[in-house]
Amino acid sequence: MPKHYRPPGKKKEGNAAKYITRTKAVHHLQVSLPTFRKLCILKGIFPREPKKKVEGNHKTYYHTKDIAFVAHDPLVEKFRDIRAHKRKVKKALARKNRELADRLLNRQPTYKLDRLILERYPAFVDALRDLDDCLTMVHLFAALPAVGGERIQVERIHNCRRLSHEWQAYISQTHSLRKTFISVKGIYYQAEVEGQKITWLTPHALQQVLTDDVDFNVMLTFLEFYEALLGFVNFKLYHSINVKYPPLLDPQLEALAAELYALCRYVSAAPERQLGDSQAISSSENEQSEDKKVDAQTDESDLRLAQLQHQLPANEPGTLMHLVEDATGADDEDNETKECKNLFKKFKFFLSREVPRESLLFIIPAFGGVVSWEGDGSPFKESDEDITHQIVDRPTQGHMFLSREYVQPQWIYDCVNARTILPTEAYLVGRVPPAHLSPFVDNEAEGYVPEYAETIKRLQDAASKQVLPMPGIESGDLDDPQNLLAEGIIDRTEASEAAEKKRKLAMLEKQYHDELNMELQGITYSASLSNKNLQSSVEDVQEDAPADPEQMEKDTRDLSMVAMSRKKRRLYEAMQISKERKKANVNILKERKKKAEASKKE
Amino acid sequence: MAKSRAEADHVEQEEPEEPSENGFVREFDHQEEESERSDAVGSSEDEGSSGEGEKDGEDDEEIHQSAEESDSSEDEVAPRNTIGEVPLEWYKDEEHIGFDITGKKISKQARKDKIDSFLAGVDDSKNWRKIYDEYNDEEVELTKEEIRIIRRLLKGRTPHAEVDPYAPYVDWFDWEDKGHPLSNAPEPKRRFIPSKWEQKKVVQYVRAIRKGLIKFDKPKEEPRFYLLWGDDSSVAENKRHGLSYIPAPKPKLAGHEESYNPSIEYIPTQEEMNSYQLMYEEDRPKYIPRRYESLRSVPAYENSLKEGFDRCLDLYLCPRTRKKRINIDPESLKPKLPSKKDLKPYPLTCYLEYRGHSGPVNSISIEVSGQWIASGSTDGTVRLWEVETGRCLRVWDVGEAVQHLAWNPLPELPILAVSAGHKVHLLNTGLGDAEEKMRIKELLHVEEVLTDDAGNSVAAVSWVQHEKHDGITLEHLKTVSTVEWHRKGDYFSTVMPSGDSRAVLIHQLSKKHTANPIKKLRAPAVSAVFHPTRPFFFVSTKKNVRVYDLSKNKLIKKLDPGLREVSSIAIHPGGDNVIVGSKEGKMCWFDMDLSSQPYKRLPAHPKDITNVAFHRSYPLFASCSDDCTAYVFHGMVYSDLNQNPLIVPLEILHGHTSSNGRGVLDCKFHPRQPWLFTAGADSVIKLYCH
Repeated sequence: MPKHYRPPGKKKEGNAAKYITRTKAVHHLQVSLPTFRKLCILKGIFPREPKKKVEGNHKTYYHTKDIAFVAHDPLVEKFRDIRAHKRKVKKALARKNRELADRLLNRQPTYKLDRLILERYPAFVDALRDLDDCLTMVHLFAALPAVGGERIQVERIHNCRRLSHEWQAYISQTHSLRKTFISVKGIYYQAEVEGQKITWLTPHALQQVLTDDVDFNVMLTFLEFYEALLGFVNFKLYHSINVKYPPLLDPQLEALAAELYALCRYVSAAPERQLGDSQAISSSENEQSEDKKVDAQTDESDLRLAQLQHQLPANEPGTLMHLVEDATGADDEDNETKECKNLFKKFKFFLSREVPRESLLFIIPAFGGVVSWEGDGSPFKESDEDITHQIVDRPTQGHMFLSREYVQPQWIYDCVNARTILPTEAYLVGRVPPAHLSPFVDNEAEGYVPEYAETIKRLQDAASKQVLPMPGIESGDLDDPQNLLAEGIIDRTEASEAAEKKRKLAMLEKQYHDELNMELQGITYSASLSNKNLQSSVEDVQEDAPADPEQMEKDTRDLSMVAMSRKKRRLYEAMQISKERKKANVNILKERKKKAEASKKE
Repeated sequence: MAKSRAEADHVEQEEPEEPSENGFVREFDHQEEESERSDAVGSSEDEGSSGEGEKDGEDDEEIHQSAEESDSSEDEVAPRNTIGEVPLEWYKDEEHIGFDITGKKISKQARKDKIDSFLAGVDDSKNWRKIYDEYNDEEVELTKEEIRIIRRLLKGRTPHAEVDPYAPYVDWFDWEDKGHPLSNAPEPKRRFIPSKWEQKKVVQYVRAIRKGLIKFDKPKEEPRFYLLWGDDSSVAENKRHGLSYIPAPKPKLAGHEESYNPSIEYIPTQEEMNSYQLMYEEDRPKYIPRRYESLRSVPAYENSLKEGFDRCLDLYLCPRTRKKRINIDPESLKPKLPSKKDLKPYPLTCYLEYRGHSGPVNSISIEVSGQWIASGSTDGTVRLWEVETGRCLRVWDVGEAVQHLAWNPLPELPILAVSAGHKVHLLNTGLGDAEEKMRIKELLHVEEVLTDDAGNSVAAVSWVQHEKHDGITLEHLKTVSTVEWHRKGDYFSTVMPSGDSRAVLIHQLSKKHTANPIKKLRAPAVSAVFHPTRPFFFVSTKKNVRVYDLSKNKLIKKLDPGLREVSSIAIHPGGDNVIVGSKEGKMCWFDMDLSSQPYKRLPAHPKDITNVAFHRSYPLFASCSDDCTAYVFHGMVYSDLNQNPLIVPLEILHGHTSSNGRGVLDCKFHPRQPWLFTAGADSVIKLYCH
């Protein structure tokens, strides 16, 4: 409600004046409810919770200032224009005035969201902070079927794909990916950009189902904003690493659905182009030598691809790319980035057909590995001798190269989360891999450490110390996860036993002290009462008070509870309840584990 | 109705034909027949239906249409019969079918029976072309030409193949040579001058184009993205305008259980899965972990779109508020109290037990010097113990369960007031030296004369000499719950909870006189205590505590503990602080100078508090309860009025056992030592020492 107009009998301050219900807001703005929704979504306006709900409990309240903020936005007028324009076109078509209709359609009123984005996120960091939802949504839509005639325009889906690939290319090339997790819902990634932790979820690369129980209008409005936001964010990020945005992609690779790879190469090549000609000369020599090889290949597409590869020497390990990275990167990279960059540095991967290619093409380069895949446009073939690891996900592998290891894709994800190269034995073809654990859980805080987490921890420690993980165990033993697990169990039991012993000792000691004290007191008593002789009718009970520690503990707790104020006591009790709940959950887990182990033994 | 009738007509008309029809012919020339039939029947139909309204109009129309179509064929051959369009039924019973052109009757032909007609049909290959003409009563054989026409008609074409219905139109009128126009009007002027309105419109357009209002080319595409965030250095500009922005909470990150291959312990067992089915839908876990053997066997997640949508809804529909999340260590909530060591001495451990009673010990009282302790039990005995040795000195049998007892606070008057049932006994303990004994005897004896005088009056209490022991008995009307002495040892008060207006009585020992200063109490009285220094009198009812000024005989203060049922009261020796115990296990500390509301509520016990007590000299107070424990507190009262009392819980004293749901029934402090006596329902009295 504007300030100058206050209907008689209405409040001018307090909750009644500060908050406005949704219906009233819609009337005040003179827009339809869908338009109001759209405005709220684009402007980022959300309902507030007034202290006192003047108009009723079941209504949605907006802050009056928020509504005024929307009312003053040019977007409202723009939406009205669009509506009027649509009517004009309809009218023209109804009058069979095709010419006018065409002319109108040529100049539809459009709106841009850049101003809104700047308004909502004045600093770039703010935008990064809110990027989680944006990325998840864009990745979700990128995975939807791009089929005409569905409720979503094909161009939108293609745009989402492009944006998500651009983002991934940036993350991959700057080595800022930190954690990954394959869940049933999809694959989670966590990256760190400008100190902000950004987590997003990509659905599994499978056919997604379009359900009917969602309102696509709302989702598409969100998507509209997110597309714009991610575009600007990508621009800024690419700008920061001196790459032109929007990137121009190699159409052939794009056609082969290897956009991400193409993008990565583009991104990594760009700074080099700007660095100048000095390197270009050296590369030209390379080119000449390799051109001869290329000539042998008659296939035109192959030729072109090869040429491209020379222009963009990203996938030639140890050449220009190296120089560039050293030149640009070394100074301002923190330790973690370095660690991430060098995780897969020595390895060369090859992906089989059946593994999730997009995800691995994103992750492996992000951690410094070189990767190729089965199919057209791949940088090197399966028969390459330098390949160290081949990622397969099939029950059996027919032909095997002895020079490389065949591992399941989970190995990559686990290595990335653990930041060490895990032994591959457990992940070999045809085996059921060990449990895949979430990197987002703080096991200590949760109170329960899964078995495999302990194993990984030990391996990490071993890797950091560069010694054998456990004295007396040979490397063969170390690699065998079963042995390790068994070791872990033994260790734990030992530890618990030791703890038990310690506690017992402590108790004994305490008891002894108590008794000593008691005796001392007894002496004083007897001293004070020495002139009076104790009679037989009295039982001198030298009661060792509350001897058991549990009772003592309870007493101290009760005493402290008595001394607390009511508010604090309630809070304390609530905390205890939540603690209990957590404990109960952990207990359930432990019980299940015990049962599973028991059944396994049988 | 009408329609069904029309149908019935049809059936009637068809019936006569049947004999002449062959199965083969029928379907072919059905239409033909119908046309003829309707032709013949038309008139009769009209007549029949004329009175019936328009409902059967549709049927009629059909019939008429078909009649019109058959017109041309009728023109070709002149009918033999001349009766015209009359219903043929009229001739049904006649010998003739009508008249020929010369006026002679035309006789009906003999009918063939079905076998004949069938045989004829078999013999004659052309029989399918034959049609019975009812009107002329003859069989007509259709020619090939006619059948062809019928076929064409059935297909919806023109009857004759040679007719072209869509021949190009030839304009036979030659316009050129005719000298006259169709209209003779002169050509108007407007045909020769340019239109004004058109010109206006053109001008409008031209201007619009010049001004750029109408543009024909597509608008130029601008680059969609540019460097939106330039330099982040200027902080002032980077402030968000408007209301404070509350960022949406981030979605919860996936835990171990959401993994495609979680460890075994995260997968619920079959029983647990079944138990989920029994839960309400809201309580059921949203996500049930599953294990997939390999990455390739993971299916698409069917709820991904739904969850994305839900998140969208949360983002724009959920009211956002800033909630302070308390992330503190629960231990830090505990108040910082002075260490217990500094607050010593206080009763800590059980030192002595006094055994001898055979029933729960209801009350104990310690002599002022601290040498003797008296206890009263439900077994009807009062025992006198030596404190330091635990020796039972004397036993009185009062006959009834002892409710309460109290020593006279004067050291030279070792008299014990014992309330048992309706009576209050003043017992001579026989302690002290000979002179004192004499005085006491005198005190407890003299009044016997007076008792007789007072006994005649209608007083609530009668003073009687005790028969067995040397002492006085005060006969009350109702059960007496408590007896309390005034500090000077002359007055004592008794409380009868069910005594209504005589609930609280004050007795004077020296004059053997009873007064009833408090007439009106709103709730049943629980106990009454004298102020330790001033002439004030505290009466606690179940709801509140009333403070009376005895010198002015008026109510001066009402303390409201806000408890459900007050059970006990104790006054600090300083006189300004009061503690009140309740049956809900809570204790209230009142600072009388501060307010009539409690300064502190201490929720100590889980069960009823039976008694509370202050120490005379040490800053200690205690509470005992039916949960078999006694709490000892440090309660320091400062002489500085600005400083609030310091209350520190010190110790929980265990030791008594529960019997009949009752625990510790009474607790008292030693007058000089920091020792606590507790009397339990397990008929034991315990002494706790430091």
